[in-house]
Amino acid sequence: MELNMIHNVFDRVAKKQKLLSSRTQELIDQVGWEIEQAKLKMQSSESTTGCTDPKSMLVDLKTKLNEIAPINQLEGLQKELNFGLGKYVKILEKCFNSDISKAHRKVDFDVHIVNQIIVTHFYRHGMFDIGDCFISEANEPEAAAIKSAFLEMHEIVEAIRCRNLEPALSWSSKQSEWLLQNGSSLELKLHQLQFVEILQNRSRNEALTYARTRLAPFAPVHMVTFQKLMACLLWAGKIHHSPYADFMSPSHWERVAEEFMHRFCSLLGQSYQSPLGVTIEAGIQGLPVLLKIESVMAAKKQEWLRMTELPVPVDLGREFHFHSIFICPVLKEQGSDENPPMMIPCGHVLSKQSIVKLSKNSTRAFKCPYCPSEATVAQSKQLYF
Amino acid sequence: MDMAIDSAPNGDASSSPAAPPAAGPLAPTTRLAQLAESLKLEHQFVRVPLEHLKKTMRTNYRLAEKEVAVVLSSVAEAVDSSDPMSRDDALTHLSSLVSRLQGLKRKLEEGSRVENLHAQRCRARLEHLDSVADADKFAEWKDVRLTRILVDYMLRMSYYDTAKKLAETSKMQELVDIDIFLVAKKIIDSLRNKEVAPALAWCAENKSRLKKSKSKLEFQLRLQEFIELVRADENLRAVSYARKYLAPWGATYMKELQHVVATLAFRHDTECSTYRVLFEPTRWDCLVEQFKQEFCRLFGMTNEPLLNIYLQAGLTALKTPLCCKEACSKEDPLSQEGFRRLAEPLPFSKLHHSKLVCYITKELMDHENPPLVLPNGYVYSTKALEEMASKKEGKITCPRTGEVCNFTDLTKAYIS
Repeated sequence: MELNMIHNVFDRVAKKQKLLSSRTQELIDQVGWEIEQAKLKMQSSESTTGCTDPKSMLVDLKTKLNEIAPINQLEGLQKELNFGLGKYVKILEKCFNSDISKAHRKVDFDVHIVNQIIVTHFYRHGMFDIGDCFISEANEPEAAAIKSAFLEMHEIVEAIRCRNLEPALSWSSKQSEWLLQNGSSLELKLHQLQFVEILQNRSRNEALTYARTRLAPFAPVHMVTFQKLMACLLWAGKIHHSPYADFMSPSHWERVAEEFMHRFCSLLGQSYQSPLGVTIEAGIQGLPVLLKIESVMAAKKQEWLRMTELPVPVDLGREFHFHSIFICPVLKEQGSDENPPMMIPCGHVLSKQSIVKLSKNSTRAFKCPYCPSEATVAQSKQLYF
Repeated sequence: MDMAIDSAPNGDASSSPAAPPAAGPLAPTTRLAQLAESLKLEHQFVRVPLEHLKKTMRTNYRLAEKEVAVVLSSVAEAVDSSDPMSRDDALTHLSSLVSRLQGLKRKLEEGSRVENLHAQRCRARLEHLDSVADADKFAEWKDVRLTRILVDYMLRMSYYDTAKKLAETSKMQELVDIDIFLVAKKIIDSLRNKEVAPALAWCAENKSRLKKSKSKLEFQLRLQEFIELVRADENLRAVSYARKYLAPWGATYMKELQHVVATLAFRHDTECSTYRVLFEPTRWDCLVEQFKQEFCRLFGMTNEPLLNIYLQAGLTALKTPLCCKEACSKEDPLSQEGFRRLAEPLPFSKLHHSKLVCYITKELMDHENPPLVLPNGYVYSTKALEEMASKKEGKITCPRTGEVCNFTDLTKAYIS
């Protein structure tokens, strides 16, 4: 995108705009001056005898004004300006897609669902004022249900950012079992941070008590970390001089805050990233493709509106691959429970339907479409991604 | 970047299991190309302040032209008139012209100031688009984009307070068009109040452009005023109103004109359904919608809120035929009820090549990180299995079934 070129064209337009502006003022001044001159002449002609008729002075004035021809000048400049503006508009229409709603389908987006999604987005990002304002303006009182959960999450995160781990610790001990079931060591990490805090900033004794009561239960499973932490007792108040200085690193705090938010959202049945943000990003990546398809199918508008499957793939970036999708290379169909992917001995993978077809209904051996090796249905193994 | 349309689905059956063209780490050129494509979608962003600037310039120009013409013709009249003019009269006359010009100057100074503001806004937006190239601030730029889209939605839905708050928190007043929508708000409020005057004034201001786009708005407004007169039983006034304001539109919209004028024969609480519908208050809602559409078109804005456009595109891009399994990652927006319901009537995007995601690491399993198959048929990425084997002395435990095997028992799968 040649933004520089667009800038330049705009600058030219802006110049013309300023020129017109200043010239207009000049012309008004000129006209005003001529009128003033005429007034002066009329006033001064009092003293001379044979005073001239005011009319003839007006005639002079009129001639002078016609010479200046302000209207013509203004028109000329305006024309040039309009020409420049027209050029700029054309450039914009050329460099940008002038109507991105062309690919938009006229389906009814339930406003309530959309508003609910927006509210959740606001609360998730801690924008509680804006969320409340939106709810009252959009009149969606039910959407506030999710607020308290996110409020709790943000309070705890704020506390972590202020190096206060109490709220986080109490939450994680309540959810201890769930966290362990889901393979999370969040509780240990929190205790670890707290221990290091106490050891560095308060007393060794306090830290020791803490280790005995809080860290010990984790020792059996995380022996290595536990031993390292206990060794830190030797450097109370000076951990940054110890071989375990990286326990002090501030990145631990950030990571623990992040993991906490991950787990909290997961427990809530929500994703960590705002789904609204993810979908919009996907839309931004996918829209150019959709617009191209629509323009290619321009003549067959009805077909475009009625299709249930796009004729070409929309390739999104990696961040949008949420689950595995297997496409049988032979039949180009998506794998499913009824038609799962099967691997044959040479290592290639086909859908079950393809194998059934190739083997003439499971009766004969068949050749792999990719390599010379042969296989039978019995040799094929179902894969689970 | 034409990779979607131009890459025909050839070579699939005959090629050896090579990586599909778009997979693999995104090369910098691809990322830049994607950025360029996404910038192309920002027409509204740069067009709206331009239209606003054009409008201001037009108003200022018309004012200057009119006033100067009046002054000139006034002088000409005085010259051409056959009445004698005393010197005092002439002086007074000329003085009034001078003060008129001074008034004009003041107005134009203010007008010029506003023009410069609008021009500055045009520039600011171009600069903002420029700044996307700054890799450090890219995440921020994307956040701002999302906020811009949300502000646009708020303004279209008339949630003005939320829009203002949003714009304030992100300090992006120059990047959004709140002031323009507030102008529309005044007119919309008046229409909701059953007044057509502000809307008609707006039509008069933009007469030539509305004519170019063959807009029906003024006609509809006049019709509604007529209906209101009939509703109030002011039939005589209604008839003279029709003669003055509706007749000129007869050439283009005769049928509709006749239909509405026939309401003269009925009362507003008539039983006849064909005419009762003309008295419905919902006609005012239609007028509001029509006005919104014309307004957006004049300013180069899309008819739909940007949010809806991007949401729909995103849902289509993310939608696959089988998205509703419980195993679906929570991170997939389509695992949420609301998104699924929105996506229902939309087409899904067909994939030509498999996209496999490792259950353990959630990373793509491709050429660089090929899938490995356990004896029980479960598949994980090489990276995940190698790491597991290094920690557990060459033993692999399937996370989903618990079965144990050796790293050496794994086989490679070739998937294109």
